[in-house]
Amino acid sequence: MTVLQSLNSGGMYLICGAIVAFIAVVCVVFMIRAWRMGKALGMDTTRMKRAITASATFSVLPSVGILLGVLALSGSLGVPWPWLRLSVIGALHYETQVADAAAEQLGISLGDGQMTLQAFSTIALLMSICIMWGMILSTLFNRRYLARLQKGGPAEGKKSGGFGDRAMAAMFIGMVSAYIGSYVGGYISGSGLFSFAGSWTPLAVVAVSALVMAAFIYFSEKKGMAWLDNFSIAGSMLCGMLAAVLIGH
Amino acid sequence: MDKKAYDSYMKTTHRLGRLVSVITLILLVGAPFAIGALLGAMPDLGAVARGFLSVGLVWTVSSVVEFLVYTPMLGAGGSYLAFITGNLINMKIPCAMNAKELVDAKSGTAENEVISTLSIATSSLVTILVLALGVLLLLPLQPVLQSPVLAPAFGNVVPALFGAMAYKYYRKAPLLSLAPLTVMVLLFILVPSLTSSTSFMIIPSGALAIGLSYLAYRKQKGAGI
Repeated sequence: MTVLQSLNSGGMYLICGAIVAFIAVVCVVFMIRAWRMGKALGMDTTRMKRAITASATFSVLPSVGILLGVLALSGSLGVPWPWLRLSVIGALHYETQVADAAAEQLGISLGDGQMTLQAFSTIALLMSICIMWGMILSTLFNRRYLARLQKGGPAEGKKSGGFGDRAMAAMFIGMVSAYIGSYVGGYISGSGLFSFAGSWTPLAVVAVSALVMAAFIYFSEKKGMAWLDNFSIAGSMLCGMLAAVLIGH
Repeated sequence: MDKKAYDSYMKTTHRLGRLVSVITLILLVGAPFAIGALLGAMPDLGAVARGFLSVGLVWTVSSVVEFLVYTPMLGAGGSYLAFITGNLINMKIPCAMNAKELVDAKSGTAENEVISTLSIATSSLVTILVLALGVLLLLPLQPVLQSPVLAPAFGNVVPALFGAMAYKYYRKAPLLSLAPLTVMVLLFILVPSLTSSTSFMIIPSGALAIGLSYLAYRKQKGAGI
């Protein structure tokens, strides 16, 4: 049995499926409680139904985009694990980057055929640990934080959003720069200082992916096709990956 | 409004939210060990610790900011669910805001708490359903996905991600982006062995970008913009 076959085995589906099912039950419980509370508060059920319908229709397209993310990761991590990660907690950009960082610590690259079972379980654990802080903070501070905001008005929420948003964008800029720098460095000096003999495929993939993202943004922002934004990351990634296949031939 | 019933609802929401968050944490961190036992290969904890030091810190900062910014928007029930089910920026936040605007619920009210919870729960269930159906459809495609022809595609999933993200983030601050990009390109050209530690290089690169962003922010604030 190959590594990928093991990662797509029935046992994997069972473990991942059980967790997805648990989260689905949690969502149903929260939904029923909120619905009952809304009725007890005298809220119009038509408005509540409208909120549910709008949220369901709103979520279909992004969910298809997320499904494409499962497809993108399935070649290196199998189907069940990306399915679990992207069904609950994760997001495509986070999962891909953390999986790659974990692979790097093990001296392998994602999707290069060197994946071992231990490498996979290590990658899976790092993916789980790195993104758990939202849940931990929520568990420890949600109640107190909301109570403080109730007392102090909305000012605190605004204050957190000031430099916070810029810091997040800057952090991503730093992250992207490190990776693109490594692709440029790999091509120019990867096979000897200034030899220009390294692989240029990652650079071409970056360029194609960025161009497709530019097209997505152009159509969603300038041509009023905002729904396209739901597919921008997954769509750009798949086009970049397609470019790698064409270069490979 | 029945204030007593609402207070009791909120109390139970917090209890339930904390309980399911802890259970989900245990399940998600436990899953790699369960998988390790199933496949006969436990995780390499040393590699996990090194990986966490390189990328985990970045995502920890991101999680703190997300918690501070999004919790007031989503209310108690909505935020517990959102932090469990993920995909915040790309789906849950705009979805809840859309529902809130549609029914004209005001922030911080009991109505907002109910609408936000209904919205996030619905959105999560739709994602779970779409992905489950999609995975069922993917099953027969597995031989195709594992074919050698497609191997270069899966080998370049990370550059594909960073190409898309580069355009998305660089356009927000093109001048700010130039500095970390130039420094990183030069570093990787002059010290090619750093390629095997790319994720560690996120720390200096991110620190440089955040530092420059903070200076620009202070300058703008000082100018009263």
